[in-house]
Amino acid sequence: MIKVANLSKHFGDNVVLRQIDLDIKEGETTVIIGPSGTGKSTLLRCLNFLEHPTSATITIDDLVVDANSATKKQITALRKKTAFVFQNYALFANKTALENITEGLITVRGKSAVIAKQEAQAILKSIGLADKQDYYPSALSGGQQQRIGIARAMAAQSKVILFDEPTSALDPEWVGEVLGLMRQLAKQKQTMLIVTHEMQFAKEIADRVIFMDQGQIIEQGSADMIFNNPQDPRTRTFLQRVNQ
Amino acid sequence: MQMALIGVVFALILAIGLAVVRTFKVPVLNQLAMLFISFFRGTPLLVQLFLLYYGLPRVFPILINMDAFTASVIGLTLHFAAYKAESIRAAIMAVDKSQMEAALSTGMTSSQAMRRIILPQAARIATPSLMNYFIDMIKSTSLAFTLGVTEIMAKTQMEASSSFYFFESYLAVALIYWGVVLIFTQLQVHLERYLNKAY
Ligand SMILES: Nc1ncnc2c1ncn2[C@@H]1O[C@H](COP(=O)(O)OP(=O)(O)OP(=O)(O)O)[C@@H](O)[C@H]1O
Ligand SMILES: [Mg+2]
Repeated sequence: MIKVANLSKHFGDNVVLRQIDLDIKEGETTVIIGPSGTGKSTLLRCLNFLEHPTSATITIDDLVVDANSATKKQITALRKKTAFVFQNYALFANKTALENITEGLITVRGKSAVIAKQEAQAILKSIGLADKQDYYPSALSGGQQQRIGIARAMAAQSKVILFDEPTSALDPEWVGEVLGLMRQLAKQKQTMLIVTHEMQFAKEIADRVIFMDQGQIIEQGSADMIFNNPQDPRTRTFLQRVNQ
Repeated sequence: MQMALIGVVFALILAIGLAVVRTFKVPVLNQLAMLFISFFRGTPLLVQLFLLYYGLPRVFPILINMDAFTASVIGLTLHFAAYKAESIRAAIMAVDKSQMEAALSTGMTSSQAMRRIILPQAARIATPSLMNYFIDMIKSTSLAFTLGVTEIMAKTQMEASSSFYFFESYLAVALIYWGVVLIFTQLQVHLERYLNKAY
């Protein structure tokens, strides 16, 4: 159970997020949609403290982090519970596919190299990339790189995986395999919070859809509710525009 | 030679420190680093060596026992550290910023991320220019003779003035420097080829 209360983020005078409240149930796939520049990425980044929220109380299990009094230790603890998948993959270019996965296990979680390697190999096998373990990112296709990015997040065994438009930097030919892997994770009841512009995919995978506009959550509910029977005019306008 | 080798190690360590301070904009230290870099890049090495060896001991008498060799090493170190710091900083900036974020997002500290992810990549990017500075440094050891270190230049001068073979003597020095630099240029080519193979 993840609980976000009163999350705001200002960049100088620019108020990007306004008092967001958000609950995420364990095992649920939540998809965030909304117009460009609305603060979707900023919200995800705040949950991992890549951006320090102006205010917020984030609760994950027994960990409670208040943005105004967060210590380094708390931030690290929070980051261990929230894995991030980046739009541009952000793989470590000087590490092989395998090392990209083991790196955090060894340096952050203090696992031995042997154990880390076994765990990473098991994950690579489960996503069909076992034969690529010794490849450097530059030698992998975009789709393979993003799947390694997801594998890195899976290995962390965090409470939730945050996806920021994981397919929007990909050539169309690779989108399918990445979405396929995310479906696989949803089936395994991995808790996920996904920002995406792939409406078809959102409809299909989401247990819950959140529509955001101008730094606020306007409306949320089941995929069926939001896509087929949106209540707020802003949601309707947005959906009309993307459906054209 | 010895001078350049000692200097190169210290200069590199100092340069990495300066570059990291500049990259993270560490308060106070960043300003000091900027001042340091600006001064040592903005004044001639020869002036710096004279200032260090003839000037500073007047103000700080403790330094009066500093020999010319030490002064030359320190001068070369500081001078080239300033140049190397800027090229290392540029290399750090050239590493995609999102990798730093990815490292932090997993819970790594920024110094872990620096050591394990960013600096190894920056090192590869900076190697060609660092090697060029190293070669420059070898050539600049010839300036140490102005402080009275009997390095190769000084020896030649003595040799030449006693034998009057000025052209031959200085040509010989030039050839020696050239030879040494050629050896290091070869090393540089191999090192770069090796680094490029890695990933
Ligand atoms: N580091 C930053 N400094 C200043 N302003 C920022 C920063 N990051 C984001 N913003 C601003 O915050 C607002 C929200 O940006 P954000 O990237 O979160 O939107 P988004 O909903 O993810 O948009 P998109 O769908 O285009 O990815 C934008 O107006 C952006 O200019
Ligand atoms: Mg975004």
